[in-house]
This record gives sequence, structure tokens and C-alpha cells, in this order.
Amino acid sequence: MNSFELKLWDDEGAKCTFYSVLQNGHSETETDKFFSRVDNPSHSFQEELQMLVQLLIDSIGNKYGAIDDFFTRNENLVFALPPRSRSKIFEVSLLGLNFPWRLYCYRISESIVVLFNGGLKESQRVQESPDLHFKFQEAQVFASKIEEALSEGMIVVAADGRTLTDYQGNPEIIC
Amino acid sequence: MRSKIIKKILDETPEETKIFVARYAELVVLINSILREKGYTQKMLADKLGKQPSEIHKWLSGDHNFTLRSLAKLEAELGETLLVVPKRASVNDFKQCGSTVTYKVTVNREEIVRRNTQQGWTQPAKIQLLANVG
Repeated sequence: MNSFELKLWDDEGAKCTFYSVLQNGHSETETDKFFSRVDNPSHSFQEELQMLVQLLIDSIGNKYGAIDDFFTRNENLVFALPPRSRSKIFEVSLLGLNFPWRLYCYRISESIVVLFNGGLKESQRVQESPDLHFKFQEAQVFASKIEEALSEGMIVVAADGRTLTDYQGNPEIIC
Repeated sequence: MRSKIIKKILDETPEETKIFVARYAELVVLINSILREKGYTQKMLADKLGKQPSEIHKWLSGDHNFTLRSLAKLEAELGETLLVVPKRASVNDFKQCGSTVTYKVTVNREEIVRRNTQQGWTQPAKIQLLANVG
């Protein structure tokens, strides 16, 4: 995988800033690619897509931040939204957002999340959804590189706790 | 900054979907916080709630109030209020100070005239000003 840039994706919420990944030579971030690809008013899961956006922008971005309650679906370094339904508790599962969209992300803190790409989970296991499986593997690579850059101090969380910079304080972050 | 595609999706999202997700998030955060506070595990609560499968079956078979019932069941088991219905301001209000009760009555004259007219009552020739009778 070539290098990529971490681009500010949404900072309008009061609680959490979202970044996304812009791959070298691409014109759209991975997250914009995902939403552009799947946004379709006639899609049978369009309402669920709207719910996912609402959860992301309003509940996480503006009201609560990236708290544990919403980040319950993870594998290795990567989380997937929406959160896993508490299926053991029938009454709570009824309230849950049980739908097959998956948007992958890497949570740096409750105030900063890097969003990747995603897709429709069409089978019990991610590995059996070809398109999603590729996005999942790609997300793992992005997350691994970001984590490495954070641990080496190449990416730094700015003093405001809401933004990222490179080691010299520049907002342009190449991984 | 916000991306164009997200603005578009947000603009097209029906109000009821926005409200649903907002309430969902509020409830998830509240229920998790109560579980942590009371030291309940998910399984403990599931066991408690799983005592009446016939009731659950009834909910699954299409009772339209199942969400409200579910909330009531959860409130009962958790011993905490999860849903608060806001109280509308009352037309009649009163304040009690010691042994003296003071009533404050507000009368909307235009409303009385409108209602009287709608119901075929005779509109009074002169409207008595009754506001703030003490």
C-alpha cells in the first residue's frame, strides 16, 4: 500500500473530530468513497444508512464523543460502526441498530476518530462478504500504520485534544 | 468542515429517523451507566428479564407497544427511570407558602369567545376581565 494522508473529515461536532484517509493519487477520502458509493434513495437499507450517519455525526460527533458504549464491535485495531447489539438482553436488542452496514474506524481518543471505508455485510462472517472483507483488511493496514506513527511520535494529538498534527506541528499528516 | 455527501444525507434524513437515533443513543448510554453503577453484568440482567418467555413471545408476535413495554420492563428491573415524558405547563397553577394557598388563574378571553362561538353558545356582550384572580 502506498502512503496516505490523514485528512480532517468532520470537525463540526462539539465532542469528536473525525479524520479520514486520502490515499496517494485518489481524489476522495475513503469515507467519502464509502458514502458516495452506498448513498442511494432506492436502496433497501437507505434508512439504515441515514441512521448510521446520524449516529456518527450527532450522537458521537456532537453529543457524547467516541465513548465505549458506541465502540463495541472490534477486531484487532479496528472498530466497526454501528455498535454491536446487546443481543443477550432482549429488551435492549429491540432498541438496537441492527443492520448490515459496517463503517470501519480507528479510535485515537474519545475526541478523535479516524474513519475508513466500509460496506454491506451480506453474510454471517466478514470473510464471506468479498467487498467488505477487502475493506476490513485495508482498514487493518491503515490502523496499523496510524498506530505505529502515533507510538513513534510522527503523529501527535494537539494540545486542544481535538486535532492531529505531524511531529513538527503541521496539520498535513502523511503516513 | 463537513463533506458534501454527509450534508446531503443529513438533509435527506427524515426527522423521525433523527429522533429515533437520538433516543437510541440516549438509552444505550443511560442503560450502560446504570448497569455499571449497580454492578450488573449483561447476563445477570438477561437472566432477570428472561423469566417470562411467554411475554417475550407476545411482544415478538406483533404487539405494537413492545418498545414501551420493553422500557417498562427494563425500568422495573433496573429500578431507574429510563423515559421521562415532559409535563405540559398547566393552565391553572398554584403556589403554597406555609398554610396559605394562593391560586393563580389565567383566562384566555379570546379562547373563551372562540369556543363559545364554535359550540353555538351566545357570545357575551361584554367580556369580564378575570385574569389573576387571587
